[in-house]
Amino acid sequence: MRTARAKVHPRRNLPSLLMVLGVVSAPLFAGHPQPKNPKEEFLVMPGEIGHSGGRLVVSLRGEPKTLNPLIAADSRSREVIGVMQADLVHINRATQLTEPALAKSWRISANGLTYTLTLRQGLKFSDGQPLDADDVLFTFRVYLDENVHAPQRDLLIVGGKPISVRKADAQTIVFQLSKPYGVGERLFDGLAILPRHLLEKPYQEGKLGQIGAAPNQWAGLGPFRLKEYVAGQRLVLERNPYYWKADTKGNRLPYLDELIFVFVPNADAQVLKFQSGETDLISQVGAENFSVLSRQPRGYTMVDAGPGLEYNFLFFNLNDAGEKSSPEVLRKRKWFREVKFRQAVSAAADREAIVRLVYQGRGTPLWGLVTPGNKRWGNAVMPHPARSLDRARALLREAGFSWRDEPGGETALFDSDGKPVEFSILTSSSNADRSKMAALIQDDLKQLGMRVQVVPLEFRSLLDRVTQTKDYDACVMGIVSFDADPNSDINVWLSSGGTHLWNPSQTHPATAWEAEMDRLIEEQMSARTFTERKKLYDRAQEILAENQPLIFLASPDILVGAKNTVGNFHPAVLEPYVLWNAEQLYLKNVPESASR
Amino acid sequence: MTRRVLTRWLIVLLGLHGLVVCAGFFSPYNPAEQDRNHVYLPPQLLHLVDPTGHLHFRPFVYPWKLRPDTPDLREEDTAHPLPLRFFVNGAHYRLLGVFPARLHLFGGEDTRICLLGTDAYGRDQFSRFLYGGQISLLAGFLGAALTLLLGTLVGSVAGYFGGLIDDALMRFAELFLALPWLYLLFALRAFLPLAVSPLKAFFLIIGVIGAVGWARPGRLIRGVVLSAKERDFVRAARGFGATDRYLLWNHVLPETRGVILTQAAILIPQFVLAEMTLSFLGLGVPEPVPSWGNLLSNLQQYSVLVSYWWMYLPALLMVPFFLGYLGLASSLQERTETYMIERRSLGGVT
Amino acid sequence: MRYFLRRLGHAFLMLIGVSLLSFFFTTLAPGNYLDEMRLDPQIAPETLAALRAQYQLDQPLPVRYVSWLNSLIHGKMGFSFAYNSPVAPLLMVRARNTLLLTIIATLFAWGLALPLGVWSAEHLGRLPDRLLSWGTAVGLVLPDLALALGLLLLAVKTGWLPPGGMVSVDFESFSLLHKLGDLLQHMILPVAALVLSSLPLLVRHVRAAVADVLGAPFLVAAKGHGIPKRRLLYHYALRAAANPLISLFGFSVGTLLSGSLLVEVVMSWPGLGPFLLEAILARDLYVVIGGVLLSTLFLLGGNFLADVFLYWADPRIRKENGAG
Repeated sequence: MRTARAKVHPRRNLPSLLMVLGVVSAPLFAGHPQPKNPKEEFLVMPGEIGHSGGRLVVSLRGEPKTLNPLIAADSRSREVIGVMQADLVHINRATQLTEPALAKSWRISANGLTYTLTLRQGLKFSDGQPLDADDVLFTFRVYLDENVHAPQRDLLIVGGKPISVRKADAQTIVFQLSKPYGVGERLFDGLAILPRHLLEKPYQEGKLGQIGAAPNQWAGLGPFRLKEYVAGQRLVLERNPYYWKADTKGNRLPYLDELIFVFVPNADAQVLKFQSGETDLISQVGAENFSVLSRQPRGYTMVDAGPGLEYNFLFFNLNDAGEKSSPEVLRKRKWFREVKFRQAVSAAADREAIVRLVYQGRGTPLWGLVTPGNKRWGNAVMPHPARSLDRARALLREAGFSWRDEPGGETALFDSDGKPVEFSILTSSSNADRSKMAALIQDDLKQLGMRVQVVPLEFRSLLDRVTQTKDYDACVMGIVSFDADPNSDINVWLSSGGTHLWNPSQTHPATAWEAEMDRLIEEQMSARTFTERKKLYDRAQEILAENQPLIFLASPDILVGAKNTVGNFHPAVLEPYVLWNAEQLYLKNVPESASR
Repeated sequence: MTRRVLTRWLIVLLGLHGLVVCAGFFSPYNPAEQDRNHVYLPPQLLHLVDPTGHLHFRPFVYPWKLRPDTPDLREEDTAHPLPLRFFVNGAHYRLLGVFPARLHLFGGEDTRICLLGTDAYGRDQFSRFLYGGQISLLAGFLGAALTLLLGTLVGSVAGYFGGLIDDALMRFAELFLALPWLYLLFALRAFLPLAVSPLKAFFLIIGVIGAVGWARPGRLIRGVVLSAKERDFVRAARGFGATDRYLLWNHVLPETRGVILTQAAILIPQFVLAEMTLSFLGLGVPEPVPSWGNLLSNLQQYSVLVSYWWMYLPALLMVPFFLGYLGLASSLQERTETYMIERRSLGGVT
Repeated sequence: MRYFLRRLGHAFLMLIGVSLLSFFFTTLAPGNYLDEMRLDPQIAPETLAALRAQYQLDQPLPVRYVSWLNSLIHGKMGFSFAYNSPVAPLLMVRARNTLLLTIIATLFAWGLALPLGVWSAEHLGRLPDRLLSWGTAVGLVLPDLALALGLLLLAVKTGWLPPGGMVSVDFESFSLLHKLGDLLQHMILPVAALVLSSLPLLVRHVRAAVADVLGAPFLVAAKGHGIPKRRLLYHYALRAAANPLISLFGFSVGTLLSGSLLVEVVMSWPGLGPFLLEAILARDLYVVIGGVLLSTLFLLGGNFLADVFLYWADPRIRKENGAG
């Protein structure tokens, strides 16, 4: 069945070992001894040797909107696409470092502007058609075409200019940047390589957006390909027989015959399905549900994979109020723009209580944007001040606020003009965790004499207020970084960014510290070495902590689970938490005979 | 006999509402007070007999402690009984919303006593239930009244006058039933200031749920009116030259009483539940103010449902209230029925 | 006949009205489909602007309405932003699943409510009636959500029934009979939840309506004539009491598409409920408008059916409409 087995070269453990040690030296991989007849160059994956066969059932919270990577914008679609497509260079979700994928090696020129990627030999799409440099050229032509509106396009504009791509020979592609780019080869992660033989015609006709993933329309390079789609119910993927990875014994991956996604409407339904044994894996479990599932595990194991990359924060509206605003709005903005006010709120926030009550202890209090789940980029020397109402009061007093006793035994806070401090905090009504955080903060701030209303809004309405009408006081939100690299959060940092939430999409930085952050972030983007970048990024983190435009609260652990029969289950704290090594997952209870 | 049943239901309802109206006195704590070290405590049972078998005349409860071998299971700590104190001074409140007071029916000494357990923030569920009833029952009652008023008005006019008016009104009702209200409510929220005070939020709830719901009872009432106006005694009265107004008021509308009362008893609980949906849009009663809708929305989470059974208790405690309304409605209805039957046979004789 | 033609005309005007107002409401609501993308750091503002233009979100309302009408005529009912596909086929699959559930549940509910209600009215004020009244009262005031969740919990704890969904994962490989069995097994829970939540109301209405006519002279007379009790109750009394019940039945039919939202969401039934809820939250406008239009169609159908029945059952109405 696996005729290619003999052609896999034996030195398989080296790459991963190097990566675990953090030694990233891409050209090393170029030194693979070439098999005599280079028909297929497998990428050899370390890990348990599994056996073939069987199927795995996973639930998705809602239906993926599309399987076309050119238009996919929702996380569910991306999760499915992730196991159907492949990229040139891949970020290992466990080590958070880059590793070869379709490109077996890459070389970066001394000035950091030219990337030369060499493709693996004998690669084939899931329909059996061979892949060569022309497919790669086609892929990038499509991504960069303005009329396609691919979400990937913006990633490929570096320094204001699109990356230029050219083919050196059938296996070699050269990417030319106009400006050095610190993120480097991480850029290629998640950029699915497209099948030119199937898409050339629809592309010419301008119909790429209408293409689905049906076998006659699409072919991918991922471990699985589409078998069946039942609207509203499930998606069945089958093994891609031409997949380019193998285990250390030379068996072609993936092990599983089928990977099935069933659609359920919400997180609780996911838990029910998993608990009753209908699904084999579960990820993104809430802390409360995690406790429920852990109480009496029936043939499954729940795993706390440790802190992830989600950061939750409170922020105040720091937008320019404009001339025509009511005096009330102007007064509130004046408090919010007072850095001591924000620092006082931060000092009064009981982060430990949030971790305990919201995450049942399965989370970490947070004082900065980089979570402990991020292995390389956190600023280790940043202070983590404990909650102190005294410090909060001292800060408020310095800023001209004062307290008065109210009838009924309460004390209220007043600003320097004698107006009571009252404001509202928005939360998303569909996110129970954040609503709970807001309710806790409300009570924390009550102890400072602030009268705070929590307003749960449905998510779109909330986004509309925060990013469009800018009619709000404060808001509790959370962001999940898709990568450990600072690049992932660049639009939070830059004052021109759309997710610079407290004052988004500025034409000129509104404050000196925002200008300074802009400079540091821009600079680290083009810095060449990690140490250089890290130094700049550390400084940016310190500025953020001093000025508290985002008052960081807590980060939840990544909570996942799997049936005990699932082999090679190694959850990561980067998305996709459990399916990142889908090709290596196998079922321990599949009878040996079934795999032959 | 029906009269006695009626009085019985009235007394039950009055008693229950007395508890809610004087929530400040009957509940031991401020419903918004958090106790972050005691979240999700199970209810404390009132005891009269201690482990040695002695009877005490002062009821007491046991505090909860963690079972030694489990992370989150609790057991009663029988070594430290907490006696209940009656008529104690505690949190400030305003009786009937006016008179400042501190007196509570009962309370603990220094440890809190939570008869219905605590919620995710360690707030006393018993106090939240009583206080929550104030807002929710009033909202349900007024909302149902508003809905039925509109529904009766439209339904009877449409059914009685028929023809073009009927057509127009019923098409309007259909339109009302068909429209995507959720969107209108989104829009409504967008036009409102963010920090709506609990009182304003409350009136908003009543307005919204009252104004949106009339189409259903309206159509039902129209159906009854449609057939009532063709009854012999109505035709006879018309024959004698009775005015439309007289006929509607004295002959046709009494026929609809049964439907209206049944609807009222059904609508009140529904409106209490509707507040749950409105909270989702940011139109409900804002935290930390308790309402029955808020208490019920805790149940929406599977983990709460399976881990903390006592979060179900508020839902069960609401049942007597709603049953009270239903009982009242059906005994009122029975009274009308006997009355109607008498009348009808009389009408037959004429 | 002319009466029914007129009703048809009304229905058409209603649909136009509903679609217009739906369009209007959806523009009033804050936010649009692209808002969430705006938060995605990977997507630039230029891309968003291009998408806005592509989705016609920058066009004035009348333009969008006309182009939507045009696509309606072509059987597409507009375009779903999220699914990047015409709305009609998306809706049809889910509507089918919903109808499968609700039609069966409605038949069950009425099949149970009629005998129970009549039985209760027959024993008016006596023990069986009282017991049933209490039962229905508790059923009425128990929150639907608590009921559905309770049933689900039962299924999970006992393992007797699948916890939601419509069919098993292996469905495609089953034999026809096995397929049917699997489907039925999955339907038990949601149907039970739907029946239990609608039954109390129906029983009470049937009871009230029948009790209303039981004392009427013609029934007393019929009893005097020695007509068997069963025939008396089901033939004469029920028919005389039919008027409000027919309106109610019209509702039942009208809510076939929209009444099971909560149960569908809780039980992961792949029907219109979860689909539309998600579309509303994601501001997938045309899906929402399509869903509204479809349920309006059912509502009108239900009312129409009720009117036909009324016409047939109540000679008084027939006479009036014949005259006017």
